[in-house]
Amino acid sequence: MRGFRLLTGPEDIGRSAWFWLGFAIVVAGIYGYATLISDFDASNLAYYLSNIPIALGLSLLWGYCGVLSFGQVAYFGIAGYLYGIIAGNMAGNDWGPLLAALGSLAGCAAVAAVFGYFIFYARVQMWIAPILTLTFTLLLETFLGQTAGYQWRVGSVQLGGYNGMTGIPSFQLAGLVFSGRSFCYYALTFVLLCFLFCRMLVGSGAGRVMLAIREDALRTELLGYDIRARQLTVFVLAAVLAGISGLLYVQWGNYITPSQIGLLQASLPVIWVAVGGRDSLLAVAISTYVLNWLNYSLSSTGSEYALVIIGGLLVAVMLFFPNGIIVALARDLPRHGWRAALAPRLAGH
Amino acid sequence: MAASILATERLAKRFGGVIAADQVSLAVAPGELRCIIGPNGAGKSTLFALLCGIYPPDAGRVLLKGRDVTAEPAFRRVRHGLGLTFQTNRAYHSLSIRQNLEIPLRAERLDRTHERGQHLRYALDEFGLDPLDERPARELPHHRLQWLEIAMALANGPEVLLLDEPTAGLSPEETRQTARVLQHLNRSGLTIIVIEHDIAFVREVAQSVTVLHQGRVFAEGSVESITAHEDVRRIYLGRA
Repeated sequence: MRGFRLLTGPEDIGRSAWFWLGFAIVVAGIYGYATLISDFDASNLAYYLSNIPIALGLSLLWGYCGVLSFGQVAYFGIAGYLYGIIAGNMAGNDWGPLLAALGSLAGCAAVAAVFGYFIFYARVQMWIAPILTLTFTLLLETFLGQTAGYQWRVGSVQLGGYNGMTGIPSFQLAGLVFSGRSFCYYALTFVLLCFLFCRMLVGSGAGRVMLAIREDALRTELLGYDIRARQLTVFVLAAVLAGISGLLYVQWGNYITPSQIGLLQASLPVIWVAVGGRDSLLAVAISTYVLNWLNYSLSSTGSEYALVIIGGLLVAVMLFFPNGIIVALARDLPRHGWRAALAPRLAGH
Repeated sequence: MAASILATERLAKRFGGVIAADQVSLAVAPGELRCIIGPNGAGKSTLFALLCGIYPPDAGRVLLKGRDVTAEPAFRRVRHGLGLTFQTNRAYHSLSIRQNLEIPLRAERLDRTHERGQHLRYALDEFGLDPLDERPARELPHHRLQWLEIAMALANGPEVLLLDEPTAGLSPEETRQTARVLQHLNRSGLTIIVIEHDIAFVREVAQSVTVLHQGRVFAEGSVESITAHEDVRRIYLGRA
């Protein structure tokens, strides 16, 4: 019961039992849908879903804790590459992919803890955080881009420079390999668990303290909270969630390249989160799925301007729905009416 | 005399060429209600920031319950028993009144005072605040927001309450109500330090007064001795 109370906390859209009944029906519907569609469509579905954890992490960090990171893809890349290195070197071992998955997420957490320590314990101004995090991911991209030579290998795995790392093993548990449709079920389950965990976190007392830090960090420190430790913890958690997306991505496509952590990819999670509404996990999950589907649909129908359209959408949403379109429609509109939903700052919110 | 619960020793802070605190030494006894006054630019806000750890001092020490906390970050001083409110209201305006109180209640304290619950309940009753109120704090009128912030500081369970101009923007009646509550809390054992501009309020509540001028302690003593002090009247009270 306590778990359900945490899920239905006031910090996100959807608190009623009816909402959760609808949520369960939608989730069951997606599982059912995955059984009916072709392998190709199931693979696409898994890809759209795999981007949700990184967006949830950014929502926690930016929307709930007030720290914008422009470099979440760094952890996406670190997890992807580490998984490739560990699983590649343990090829033939049935437990290799599981150990690789755990190792890569631990690696993400360790890198984020060290990098975040310097950001938060040095008490840098929070507007500098996006610049530092973006710089970190661009440095990582540049470094990985020059790893083309034969000397850049770890054990038997080549890093591959800008051509990237190929032949990364799929995920498996003992003898059960997750690929194609089974990977879609696995990704859906993983993403669902990430979502429920994040909801419980923001519904808990720790979630309330995150909001307090976002509202007024100094006030919160002067109520006895070590805000540096709290911000660092959320930063590490967001990095692990980004790592889960990276993990799902390499398990899905069996390759990764440095362009996955470049400037363009770094901006995408910020767009997904801002368009849906950064302080709602539900809104972020929906907008991430829809924008990935839209981007893929536009690209696959031959539009060269898919990213221009997505960028234009961001500009339009920021102009008319600065709190995010889903948050404006589902939360601000019922509470405060059209005027507040359209332009919260003008209406004094 | 009992050992000081909060003391400073030759505290100094300079911002560029401006000396904001110059050899400030204070000693506040347990159970005291001390007011710190001074004209604009006297260094009151700097002293507040140095006491709660927002700025590190250039020289000198801050002692809380006899323990040197000069190098300790602000949150640790709070955990050791310092509670405070700011000059400009810093309650969480977008959070509910209940959440505003829940956040300090959840905060870690190293040595909790058993009076915490009593102090908080008394203040909530007297200020007419409902701890289960789900309205956003921004819907409260200014005086209740000021009182909410005092209640938040009490929810922390402090042994020393440091208030920076708690009556700013309050009507005379609201100021009197604030004075009544602070006096009651003080009588029940809470040490209170008030940085204040409103001399009428100071006369009503203070047991002792420290006057700051140009970053230095200019005079110290009872309310009567301070109000009778010729130089204090000249630099400050004469213009009040």
